[in-house]
Amino acid sequence: MAGAIIENMSTKKLVIVGIVLLLFQAFAFMVGGLIAPSPTTAVHYLATKCVDNQKGHLQGRKWFMPWGPNQCDKIRDFDEAMAKRIEANNIVFSVHIPLPNKEMSPWFQFMLVILQFDIAFKLYNQIEDKAMVTIDVSLAYRDDTVSEWTEMAHSLEQRKLSCNFTTAKIIENEGRYYECDLLPFMEVGTVSHKYYLVNIRLPVNERKKVNVGIGEIKDIRLVGIHQNGGFTKVWFAMKTFLTPSILIIMIWYWRRITMMTRPPVLLEKVIFALGISMTFINIPVEWFSIGFDWTWMLLFGDIRQGIFYAMLLSFWIIFCGEHLMDQTERNRFSMYWKQVGPIVFGSLCLFIFDMCERGVQLTNPFYSIWASDVGTELAMAFIIVAGICACLYFLFLCFMVFQVFRNISGKRTSLPAMTKARRLHYEGLIFRFKFLMLVTLACAAMTVIFFIISQVNEGHWHWGDYTVQINSAFFTGIYGMWNLYVFALMFLYAPSHKRYGDEQSSGDQGGNSGEDIQLTTTITHADGPTEVYRMMGKESQE
Amino acid sequence: MRNSYMGTSEDDKTRSPAPSMLSYEFMCRTNPFTSCSFRMLFMNRPSSSGWVRAMDTRHGVVAITFLAFFMQVVVEATSWWSLAMNPLLIPEAYIIGAQPLCSQLAGLSKGQKKLCQLYQDHMQYIGEGAKTGIRECQYQFRHRRWNCSTVDNSSVFGRVMQIGSREAAFTYAISAAGVVNAVSRACREGELSSCGCSRAARPKDLPRDWLWGGCGDNLNYGYRFSKEFVDAREREKTYEKTSMESARLLMNLHNNEAGRRMVSDLAHVSCKCHGVSGSCSLKTCWLQLADFRKVGDALKEKYDSAVAMKINTRGKLVQVHSKFNPPTNHDLVYVEQSPDYCVQNHSTGSLGTQGRLCNKTSEGMDGCALMCCGRGYDQFKATLVERCHCKFHWCCYVKCKRCTRVVDQFVCK
Repeated sequence: MAGAIIENMSTKKLVIVGIVLLLFQAFAFMVGGLIAPSPTTAVHYLATKCVDNQKGHLQGRKWFMPWGPNQCDKIRDFDEAMAKRIEANNIVFSVHIPLPNKEMSPWFQFMLVILQFDIAFKLYNQIEDKAMVTIDVSLAYRDDTVSEWTEMAHSLEQRKLSCNFTTAKIIENEGRYYECDLLPFMEVGTVSHKYYLVNIRLPVNERKKVNVGIGEIKDIRLVGIHQNGGFTKVWFAMKTFLTPSILIIMIWYWRRITMMTRPPVLLEKVIFALGISMTFINIPVEWFSIGFDWTWMLLFGDIRQGIFYAMLLSFWIIFCGEHLMDQTERNRFSMYWKQVGPIVFGSLCLFIFDMCERGVQLTNPFYSIWASDVGTELAMAFIIVAGICACLYFLFLCFMVFQVFRNISGKRTSLPAMTKARRLHYEGLIFRFKFLMLVTLACAAMTVIFFIISQVNEGHWHWGDYTVQINSAFFTGIYGMWNLYVFALMFLYAPSHKRYGDEQSSGDQGGNSGEDIQLTTTITHADGPTEVYRMMGKESQE
Repeated sequence: MRNSYMGTSEDDKTRSPAPSMLSYEFMCRTNPFTSCSFRMLFMNRPSSSGWVRAMDTRHGVVAITFLAFFMQVVVEATSWWSLAMNPLLIPEAYIIGAQPLCSQLAGLSKGQKKLCQLYQDHMQYIGEGAKTGIRECQYQFRHRRWNCSTVDNSSVFGRVMQIGSREAAFTYAISAAGVVNAVSRACREGELSSCGCSRAARPKDLPRDWLWGGCGDNLNYGYRFSKEFVDAREREKTYEKTSMESARLLMNLHNNEAGRRMVSDLAHVSCKCHGVSGSCSLKTCWLQLADFRKVGDALKEKYDSAVAMKINTRGKLVQVHSKFNPPTNHDLVYVEQSPDYCVQNHSTGSLGTQGRLCNKTSEGMDGCALMCCGRGYDQFKATLVERCHCKFHWCCYVKCKRCTRVVDQFVCK
């Protein structure tokens, strides 16, 4: 068997392939930056204060609408409630999602709601330490403006109030607001209905110390976050386009491998697995979320991404390991348990964490693992363990990359002793190996840089008349980039048809071809996809 | 001195504003609102300068200056601030027969009346914004000789505002800020029909409607509407380029802008991470309005560092003391010295400090020495009934005991 395509390809062709990939890359960035809107939108809602005039509890829940026909009895502020002798238990905060004259759409994919309290400072009614606020929340939906509301979820939730007052706590500053942290409120995995209604109550029970010592609440504000329909469309289009591309190259790649007489080596299998996980992420099952009410889509997306990341990280380790050029035989997955272990363990931690948060949210959209102390500690534990695993992994990876480069430079010194044709060939091999290492590094660096930019930046740049959506460009660009990476990997690392020995025999004279034959027969373990192995085997022979 | 010129050039008074007003009205009738109001900005300048040149030849600078001043006295007697005082502003009134209401509202200029007719649902919030602004002004100036007190329901602050002083600068800024705040807030409550996905904000070539790109940023809407509405009054006036009135007009526009900017500057960005497993790979940010007290605090600081300006021969506002840094868009500017607020004066509109409470021990502006302007003070014993040992719920329930205490109060003579 000869080497991989990357080795037998002329530099010119390699450059052409590189340029084509770069063009696709630029296109992926442009699709996000120029066509797609920003990935998500945040919409503010200020809860309307409704008065529940019902005496006793009638059958069935009554829904309070903030506006439109059948709107509730509103009060503007709580001074009015005080004057009318309305009790706290009879006040319902009502929020209609979305704002008037708009409707929600399945294209929004998910809906995330954040809760914020406006609490005024009162010298004699301050927020107590470790104050917990208990909220009685219910969520309803309907699909037209006239029908009855249908209950979706109802729950009694607790949230920790963490507020601080930045100025001095003196009587002069009464009426200023506390600065409170954002509280997680609700997460819904699909937006399959047009209208949603949230009713929030803050029941007071002095004996049970419920909602006592939470200060003077002035307003409740919600921030609803959803994916933009335009972004979803662009994203789906991209996935739909990428799926067949990766699928085709994957089939082509596997056909090449099965055409060989020897069984596939570990690295080839890993590359194929990477292709499978990429396809798994690519398959646009999200199209179904437009028609079906599948709340688990968000969780499913997380799992798919997790599998891909784990696969990519494992691939890097194995890629480095198989190029180590020491005389150890690897080519078995079990050789890498030390390095792959942290990846698996870390991913598992994140998976459990995700199940605890998003998994539970399938049944109770108001659930948040961060709301309780135990939950917070548990979540933090999972995240810290995952973080340690990530650190461990990167230590291993860096060490391995270092080893590879050390071995390469070691080989370099013995290069002048070889015949000219072989030397040129090995130099080319080392160059191409390094080139691929650099590409990987560049991809990782691009991801990190773009991630940082999107974190720091406000989301869009104005460039003349155009608004470039940085965040969208980040998503489509990086997504496209890893797709191209996997594509290039499968293309360049597929076994070559060219008989490597034929070319070489013309350059080398006589005895070398015999050596070559000996190589292929004796050092079977080195029959990896790259010729670097072959070189290594030769060195050991010489 | 000012009054002595009041009667001159009566014949010009009726004629003078006509050309510019006509062109503005014409533009508005033929165009939909947005383009009209934007056009207004560009239209006014060329037409005003043209008019000024024509008048120059006939009457000379002095006549126009005082004529214009006379106009200002007549027009400025009422202000849109009166919306804050107007009991007519109940939302139901707008739903029934809104058209006549706009003309009933005292204090609106021509352009503002047009805006009122187009955006009737906004008026209530403009009134609310004005009220917030005035309340904040009164809070910030509670210890000052001029305490931002309102005089009547039509002119609101009385004649004090006719002087282009620091206090006027602050008042204009805080009320413009109040409108931004109130309109943005109303947007968020979903009370305004044209808010949110407003058409004006959308780039023409991109389909960024609700479904495509969502629509947020209420602050931007509040800012733009406040600019249209509050500045409309100044924009429809034309004065001779180097006149004091022109200086005042520029000062008002500058301070309105400073107030509005303060709201958007103090709005802070809040973000939420919601990527895979709650990581920050997906992050959504939004602007959040600051507590209005903070806007008041910041504008009060700007008041303390306000810049004295004068108008130059090219009709631009320049600093009186050019060695300092020139004021930015965020600074307050004034063109006249503040009047003496110590004693009551009908011509300046000062109410005087007689009868104001002061603090005997304080050495600041609220101290009796400064507050009473050296006239001395009377001491009273007052019994304060206070609520104490209270039990609170988060809303609407307070159970207190009554405590009384006797305090000394000092009142300026």
